[in-house]
This record gives sequence, structure tokens and C-alpha cells, in this order.
Amino acid sequence: MYVTVRVEVEKCSGCKLCIVSCPDPNVLAFIPEAKHVVVNEHRCKGCGLCATVCPEEALTVSGN
Amino acid sequence: MSKGLFRISPGFEDVMPAEYKELVTNGPYGRDLGVKDLGTFKELIEEHPLCAGCAEALALRLILASLPSPEDTVIVGSTGCSSLLFTQVAVQNIHSLFGNQNAVATGLKRALRLRFPDKVKDVVVIAGDGATVDIGLDMVMQSWFRRELITTIMLDNEVYANTGGQESGMSPQGAVLYMAPLGKKFPKVNLPEIAREAGCAYVATISPALPRRLGKVVRRAILVAREIGPSYVQVFCPCPTNFKWPSAQVLQKIRDRQKEGIFKVREYVSPEAEAYLAGLEVERQHDEQE
Ligand SMILES: Cc1ncc(C[n+]2csc(CCOP(=O)(O)OP(=O)(O)O)c2C)c(N)n1
Ligand code: SF4
Ligand code: SF4
Ligand code: SF4
Ligand SMILES: [Mg+2]
Repeated sequence: MYVTVRVEVEKCSGCKLCIVSCPDPNVLAFIPEAKHVVVNEHRCKGCGLCATVCPEEALTVSGN
Repeated sequence: MSKGLFRISPGFEDVMPAEYKELVTNGPYGRDLGVKDLGTFKELIEEHPLCAGCAEALALRLILASLPSPEDTVIVGSTGCSSLLFTQVAVQNIHSLFGNQNAVATGLKRALRLRFPDKVKDVVVIAGDGATVDIGLDMVMQSWFRRELITTIMLDNEVYANTGGQESGMSPQGAVLYMAPLGKKFPKVNLPEIAREAGCAYVATISPALPRRLGKVVRRAILVAREIGPSYVQVFCPCPTNFKWPSAQVLQKIRDRQKEGIFKVREYVSPEAEAYLAGLEVERQHDEQE
């Protein structure tokens, strides 16, 4: 299985810090109605940068 | 504005790739979006082959989201890791021979002014540190001396990354790299200072660890180059692959360097550019009120 990041949506505050810290485009998207982010697992390279900036510890990279 | 360029010709809708269709329906063209809106629109950059955790890729992603009018922008690139990404970018771009980027951009800007005298066309050079401060320095500085109305953005990853790790003028003193085993003998070239002395009306250093500020800087640099004079932005985005850092560490490394005072975020705006930007700000507020 490929390495990818996962979002625990209950923890996510919707601050969007992860979105502006990801080197890859359109991997993390913001859902305005639900006010949290979702991840497109097929596009994620699993680098883990997003997890290092998340203030809520809502992101984990599988395989790490 | 040339938004029509990106429309799909009638009859071709069902054969176009899904990503392209999304760009047409939810792209940023003509919508005045920026870094703060990332994650809510289809970006001007597609999946790319740059390394996991690449700060240069993050910088490019943020730069592309900050172009004031992407539909009327032409980017001039040069060889390096970034050139592998430009094949995936939905902004008109030219790949120039390594080091020639500012000469190519000069001709392009002048030709666009003749061809479209009543339109604003932004010409933005985006090239690596090797291409900008070493091999292309002559062309870069000559374009500043001539006060060409172009923006030059250096992706300072502190190494010739794409060719396997030679030292560049921007590598830090003492840096040991795959193909520089003895360690660099002299400090980073102070190109922002040189840019100022050479005639740039706007000069800034920034990093992708400050994404919104990066967006603001890129925007200001491009606006100044429309009317006032050349502008230069140096983006600190060290290469995790060549410096042998785990993929999740680069943003922390940038912050550490900032804390140690080795990397400084700076902005120089000439008095003329300052007045021009302040005028645009007033205009913008006025537009928003209407
Ligand atoms: C005229 C010419 N000289 C040399 C090269 C070889 N070359 C390709 S990429 C590169 C290094 C690029 O370094 P930099 O500009 O810092 O970009 P990076 O890959 O680090 O992003 C070099 C020297 C070339 N392609 N063309
Ligand atoms: S792990 Fe890396 S590629 Fe995946 S979403 Fe996070 S920052 Fe983006
Ligand atoms: S950084 Fe964390 S809290 Fe903020 S939007 Fe991303 S996942 Fe949610
Ligand atoms: S070698 Fe360095 S600059 Fe090039 S893609 Fe990989 S991380 Fe980015
Ligand atoms: Mg480089």
C-alpha cells in the first residue's frame, strides 16, 4: 500500500495550515460546509510536512 | 483578459481530461484568488515529479497561487528541478537555455508591449539559484541595469539539485554536498543587495514557511514590475534531498535558520514603488466598497 496522510476530522479545526504547507497541488482540500480538510490519498506523497504544521495533531502519515 | 484561451471548443467537452475540465470550471482565472484560498479551487499546477517534501515545489505552488493575473502572465523558466514541474503548469511558460532566462524575458516583455500596447502582460522569470546567481548572473544583472519591467524570482534551494549536488553561489559556507566533498569555501552571495544597487525597485527575501507573506511579496513584486522597474524575489527553499533531511523536516529547518538569524526575511521598496503600491491599495479598497 502507498504511504498517505489521513485526517481525523473530529480533531481538525479547519485552520488550513496544512493546505499551504503541502508541496503537491490539490491533495488537501477544504470543505467549507463541514469546516475541515479532506485528503486525496491518490495524490499524497506521504512526505509528512502537513503533519508537522498541524496545531491539532489531526494528521498522521501511514507507514511512519 | 484572455480567459477565452482556456475554454473548451464545442464538441470536445467529452474528450478533454477531467483535470482540464476542472480547470475551466473551477480554476483561478480572473477570480482574484490567492494563497488563502488554496484548497478551494483547481490549482494552476498538476501532479508533478518533484521529490516528496520538496520545498522548491511548495514555493512554486504558492507562487502560482499568487500571480495577480495568471491568464495574462508568461513565465520564463530555466533548467533545474523546477523545469520538471513546468510541464505540469497551466500558465503560459517558456523554457529557456540555462542561464539565458532574463535575456529571453527581456525580449518577450518588449515584444508583448508592442503586440498588446493596451494590455498588461506580466513576464515573470522563475529559475534556480544556479541559473540565477552563477551561470545566468550576467543576463540577470544586465536586465536590472537596463531597468527591464520584469520580475525575477530565484528558487534558492542552495545547491545545483537537478545535476546531483554541486555547490552554487547560494550554498552556505561549509556546506558539504554530494559533489562538493571539501565543503564550500565562501559565504552565500548577497544577491538581494546587488539587486537593489543594480536598479531593482522592489527586492524581497521570503520562504514557503511563511506562505501568506510569500503570496503578498510575489504579488507586490509583479505589480511593481508593471510600471515602476524590475523586481527581485529570493525564495529560500533548501533541498531536503541534497541536504539529506527526512522529507517532513524542511519547514522546521527553514524556521531554525530564521531563528538563528542566518536566513532573514527582508523587503526593500523604492520610494517610487512605495507610492505606486499605496495608490493601488487605495484603488482596491475603493473597488471593494462599490
Ligand atoms: C547551458 C547548460 N549548462 C548546464 C546545464 C546542466 N544543468 C542542468 S540543471 C543544472 C543545475 C540547476 O541548478 P539550479 O539552477 O540551482 O536549479 P535546481 O535544480 O537546484 O532547482 C545544470 C548545471 C544545462 N542544462 N544547460
Ligand atoms: S503528506 Fe506531504 S504530500 Fe501528503 S498531504 Fe501531507 S504535505 Fe501533502
Ligand atoms: S492543519 Fe490540522 S487543524 Fe488545520 S486544517 Fe489542517 S488538519 Fe485541520
Ligand atoms: S532534488 Fe531537491 S529541489 Fe529537486 S525535486 Fe528533489 S527535493 Fe526538490
Ligand atoms: Mg538550486
